[in-house]
Amino acid sequence: MGIQFYQRPKLDHPIMIVGWPGIGNIGIIAVNTLKGSLKAEEFGEIESWEFFYPQRVSIQEGLLEKLEFPTHKFYFCRLEKKDVVFLIGEEQPSEGERMYARGEKAYRMANLVLDAAVELGCQRVYTSGACVSMVHHQMKPKVVAVTSTERLREEVQGYPNTILMSDLARRGEGEGTITGLNGLLLAVAKKRGLEGLCLMGEIPDWLSGVLLPYPKAARAVLEVFGGILGVDIDLSLLEKLEKQIEEMIEGFYAKFPPETKEEYDQRKLVSQATSGTITVQAQIYVDDRFKKGGDEGGERPV
Amino acid sequence: MEKGPFEIHRVPRLEAPCLIVSWRTNDPGDVGSQVTEFLIEKLGGQEVAEIRPLGFFPFGGVRFKDDLVQVPESKFWACEKQSLLIFRSDEPAFEHHTFLNLILDFAESHCHVKEFYTVNGAISSIPHSRPRRLLTAFNQPEFKTSLAGYELEGMSWEGPPAISSYLLWVARRRGMPGVSLWPEIPFYLAAVQDAEAAKRVLFFLNHRFNLTLDLGRFEIGARVQNERIAQLRKEDAETDQWVHRLESGENLNEEEQLELTRDIYDILRKVS
Repeated sequence: MGIQFYQRPKLDHPIMIVGWPGIGNIGIIAVNTLKGSLKAEEFGEIESWEFFYPQRVSIQEGLLEKLEFPTHKFYFCRLEKKDVVFLIGEEQPSEGERMYARGEKAYRMANLVLDAAVELGCQRVYTSGACVSMVHHQMKPKVVAVTSTERLREEVQGYPNTILMSDLARRGEGEGTITGLNGLLLAVAKKRGLEGLCLMGEIPDWLSGVLLPYPKAARAVLEVFGGILGVDIDLSLLEKLEKQIEEMIEGFYAKFPPETKEEYDQRKLVSQATSGTITVQAQIYVDDRFKKGGDEGGERPV
Repeated sequence: MEKGPFEIHRVPRLEAPCLIVSWRTNDPGDVGSQVTEFLIEKLGGQEVAEIRPLGFFPFGGVRFKDDLVQVPESKFWACEKQSLLIFRSDEPAFEHHTFLNLILDFAESHCHVKEFYTVNGAISSIPHSRPRRLLTAFNQPEFKTSLAGYELEGMSWEGPPAISSYLLWVARRRGMPGVSLWPEIPFYLAAVQDAEAAKRVLFFLNHRFNLTLDLGRFEIGARVQNERIAQLRKEDAETDQWVHRLESGENLNEEEQLELTRDIYDILRKVS
């Protein structure tokens, strides 16, 4: 088990952008959309059978043909400004009944990804995920950043619509945890001397426990990636999904009692970067079929 | 503290043995359990080793079935005279790949197993009154060819894999031939013991390994079961009609399936 490259593209100091499923699938939607828009080419994978239970079997006329495991595939593209390597994982390796990666398996997976990054000459890795916050769903989500170095912390302050975690309301000195591989990868990267930063799209707290993607935040993250890479990103497919999901969320919102709605709507009046002490127990108005169990994942404050 | 993944009571003396695997959980018709329990009893199987459970099973509580506490077990039994190694286990909840490799590690390293068979149950829409086919999935075409004379029928399936399919895949990577055996089980017998399906598997194993086992127990079990269902059909026109429709090759809708399953479950549980 390990990394399998089908070809060895010549890349000039590429950056690596990594996506795994998580809250609202914000990170993986953003990274997948970016990969698709840049027409990145698949060139390798992590053989991942030790990490996952297989998803699908094919048996034909009494003969086992193949067993399919959640994939972890590498893609590359060459851009004017930067060469890019993508790693997209279909599932986070978990231990026990947890939904998000932790423990030895997660550590091994993070190291495999970084083995590839080092081999390909990457010196910086980006991860992406969700930041659960007091944002109103009708507002444009901000992108919240956590970085591995002081220099990167300075750099992200120049990114559009991006704030540091410490600038987000109710986050004290920017302390907290980024659950799962989107966080762990940064830790292992730092240990191995690679720069790392996580770009997290804001998702309203009450939607973080809902089994729905949140493409609005993925779009915010994509806009930042577009700026970093100096490219225009085709958002047509994302827009379609965004519209569908917004209709559903508005449906939940319409069920809020007037006093809850009034309280929640105050979020639109305060700047997330400076204030935000209103908590609304709005999750109860979400249809049961969209509620999820298990651990929460994503970024959480202390 | 536990040391190593196995607790080995003794290394059995087996000559080019075959391994038979059954799972105590997800065992429709209790076919796997019936077959391996019967083999261990009739062939004088001796418990020789087990895989230690820590890391493979959740220990946040305890599972129970029929009001009885179920402790996760993963045990090897040896039938030395017939050169069979039997493995009975709960399906692990975690670390499946490691667990499946451990089964094969013990089978190969300590017992020199040459091939293996898993016993499962394929839930089907056939009625209980029809002969049961024994469906199979092999992990090597050569092994499939070598068992061509045993009235087995190759299955075709695409979808979520059972753990036996995962074991076939792991074994193929290690070069060990294996087959999973899937006797058809009428859906309304999946929650009770299906003696006819167990008999079908044992009939095959009897021939394959020249075991000369008397399967009368299963014939009687199946007959009693069929008589009870026949009685229910006489007493309940709806049940009779549903089974009749299945016998005519028709399908039942979800509600009808559930009601038929409930009625037959009630009557057979009373008997058992």
